[in-house]
Amino acid sequence: MKILRFHTIFLFIIVLFSVESGFAQNPKREADSLEVYVPEEMKMLETVVITATRTPKLLKDVPMVTRVIEARDIKNVDVANVQDLLQTELPGIEFTYSMNQQVSLNMQGFDGNSVLFLVDGERLAGETLDNVDYSRLGLDDVERIEIVKGAASSLYGSNAVGGVVNVISRQLDVPWLLNINARYGTHNDQHYGGTIGFQKGRFENTLNAQYVSCDAIKLPNDGDYGTVYAHQSLNARERLTYSYNGLKLTGRAGYFFRERESQQTSHDRYRDFSGGLKGEYEFSDKDDIMMSYAFDQYDKSNYSLTSHKDVRSYSNVQNSLRALYNHCFTKKTTLTVGGDFMHDYLMTYQFLNNGSHEQNTADAFAQFDWAVTGKFNVLAALRYDYYSLSDLSHLSPKLSLMYKLKRLSIRASYADGFRAPTLKEMFMSFDMANIFMIYGNPNLKPESSNNLNVAAEYTRNSYNITVMGFYNMVNNSITTVWNAALNGMVYENMSPLAISGVDCSASANWDFGLKVRLSYVYTNVNYHENELHLSSTRPHSATARFEYGKRWHDYGFNLALTGRILSSVTCDEYTSLTDLTETQRVTYPGYTIWKLTLLQHVWRGLDISATVDNIFNYVPDYYYSNSPATTGTSFYVGLSVAVDKLFSSQDIPESP
Amino acid sequence: MKRIFGIIALALGMSSCNGIFSGLYDVVEPDAMPFGFKEINEDDHSGTIFIDARDYEKWTYINLEDKTADTANMVHGDAEPQKWHFAIHRYDVKTHDGSARQTDFTTFDELKASGDYENGVFTTDTLSKVIVDMSGMMSGQLVYHDSEVNKVLSRWLKVDTSVMPPIYTMSGKVYILRMDDGMLAALLFTDYMNESSVKGYITIRYIYPL
Repeated sequence: MKILRFHTIFLFIIVLFSVESGFAQNPKREADSLEVYVPEEMKMLETVVITATRTPKLLKDVPMVTRVIEARDIKNVDVANVQDLLQTELPGIEFTYSMNQQVSLNMQGFDGNSVLFLVDGERLAGETLDNVDYSRLGLDDVERIEIVKGAASSLYGSNAVGGVVNVISRQLDVPWLLNINARYGTHNDQHYGGTIGFQKGRFENTLNAQYVSCDAIKLPNDGDYGTVYAHQSLNARERLTYSYNGLKLTGRAGYFFRERESQQTSHDRYRDFSGGLKGEYEFSDKDDIMMSYAFDQYDKSNYSLTSHKDVRSYSNVQNSLRALYNHCFTKKTTLTVGGDFMHDYLMTYQFLNNGSHEQNTADAFAQFDWAVTGKFNVLAALRYDYYSLSDLSHLSPKLSLMYKLKRLSIRASYADGFRAPTLKEMFMSFDMANIFMIYGNPNLKPESSNNLNVAAEYTRNSYNITVMGFYNMVNNSITTVWNAALNGMVYENMSPLAISGVDCSASANWDFGLKVRLSYVYTNVNYHENELHLSSTRPHSATARFEYGKRWHDYGFNLALTGRILSSVTCDEYTSLTDLTETQRVTYPGYTIWKLTLLQHVWRGLDISATVDNIFNYVPDYYYSNSPATTGTSFYVGLSVAVDKLFSSQDIPESP
Repeated sequence: MKRIFGIIALALGMSSCNGIFSGLYDVVEPDAMPFGFKEINEDDHSGTIFIDARDYEKWTYINLEDKTADTANMVHGDAEPQKWHFAIHRYDVKTHDGSARQTDFTTFDELKASGDYENGVFTTDTLSKVIVDMSGMMSGQLVYHDSEVNKVLSRWLKVDTSVMPPIYTMSGKVYILRMDDGMLAALLFTDYMNESSVKGYITIRYIYPL
């Protein structure tokens, strides 16, 4: 009852007191000037993206390959969460379980702590086993998701080693909207969402809430885990924006709650409180500035079902200040300069006596974007980061080139990536169930990488082919190593490793309503100074999407068949954590999972979806931590009602 | 605009370097749950025992009559107390020359309503090995110690270590403990964690004499 009461109060507070909101790097201004007709299938390249350069830029002009997943893609493939979406749309991305069913990411050889996740350009506080809480990334109110693969520390600092995933919230483009949606499926999987928004004069407001729950899933075969924990979560976000004469003020507040039924007598609880204020001002056509303050607090607690006490065991609080200034010298040159200051506080049960540590980080960066000719673009960036507690600093350069040759675009970039040691990695002192200790190491060096990407993109009419080769030399990766003297694990820097591969995709859209997208990634992780193959990254993975849709006046449908194919992987694993002399060779089986979704636009604003997931009924013989937690074919039905469109005489066509 | 800046100030004031809404959580003081006997009801002879059983080397000896809980280090050869009824080592349970059976009841009320205390097979302790050192687990070198264990009472918690992390499942059943003098006690193990969800803290409800 205490929880429900708090949820109610918090939602009430954020509705009452939120100031305006929006996205700092709002591409709307840029998009407004781009109202030119382009064929449906070419619209993607005309999408304004923000993540790769921190300035609004057309996708086709960005010198780094950027993958965009739009809201209609999310709707058409009927995914339950962001993990499901990214795995469906992008090869080389795999979400698995680590200890105690905590979700862990592998993106083309990089772990979760080497891929930076952002929501509207803001970092997420908190982590569990080196991964942010992906449940926080609700898909209900998303305009698009931008994925930039490769290092991006020259703009985003720590953690942007393997790539950046930026979830961008929907901006209102209608006077008002009210959307209510529900989804129900196998294992009592329930999803309810609602968004209400309005534009009135200089104000714009959006409130979104999502509730998700699922029963425990008893797996039919043996494995590293036998039952997937039941869970429920609530995610609410409020944004209010005020615009006046070139000035845009934005305020936001958010609340997140998740509960896992992980123990018979206690449940794991996760909460997040976030808020932010942002001011953007356009001095002229050539100059604009943004300043923002962001607050994010991620807590973990244990709720005892016997004593009914909810005891906090972890709290990560991040307060960030940011400034960003853009100046266009000419139409061909843009200078972007900025800086951040962040106070990072961490209290955790993994510190001695449940203690806390905190530090300040500061950075400054500059980026120069120069369209040398209409065909040739150069982008150079440099960033300096400083961490107070370890007195650690790092310089992150970047150079990107793009050359357009009729329908062919060639992109090449060198970028430095780095990841600073976290407070946890520096100061952990954790007794692992009286078995061994895990100690932090204040003398850790930052992880760093040298990233080279070369990509060719060919576009003709409704066909697009992109091939990208990538190479990363990663130094000083941080991991735990057994220390016999301490009889425990200690965080140490590792010897270098190289991550390389090829990333290909091909897409085609035909006028009669058929769309196809095929993607493939080859990844090779090579540990120098070690002949063992210690990475469990799957070398081959592919995704496929086939869509067919038609639209009449009041009725339309879209049939989407999506699939992911993952190869097996054979790797060497140490037989003992304390003795690194013996290994065993382990093969994790490959698998493929396909999903069929029928989305029907029944009437104005009324959409009905029906999904059959895992249509070929794949069931793992043994549930490894990297096996899909599926019990076979599952079914989902969904309903989405856009109330505003019910009252609108114009039914704005969407996909299909 | 005035309202907006007011709200901005409020929002800034709400935030804190060390977090907000700490009052949302319960705070467990170190002495909030003292070890030993508590919630004693002399009328129906019931009570609750809360013990710290995290130390693998120790047995905690429970004396239901005198309401004491004393520990002894088996590795160091500490002597047992002279008088005790049952003892706990981690999740292992042994009796003092007694025996025990598991009932089908999950509450004391059901047990008392049935009056079915002694029907059934009572099982005595058997010589077994208990783990006294887990520190070598990662290298496959666990250290054991010979000790009597009551297999029936020890069924109160099943620890499935075939998966990681282990799955802890309590039986939820009421157990009847028969002492060497023929006296009976009812035991119901209700938790294996403390209020902060740290494992190795055991809560036992009892009726003695039954």
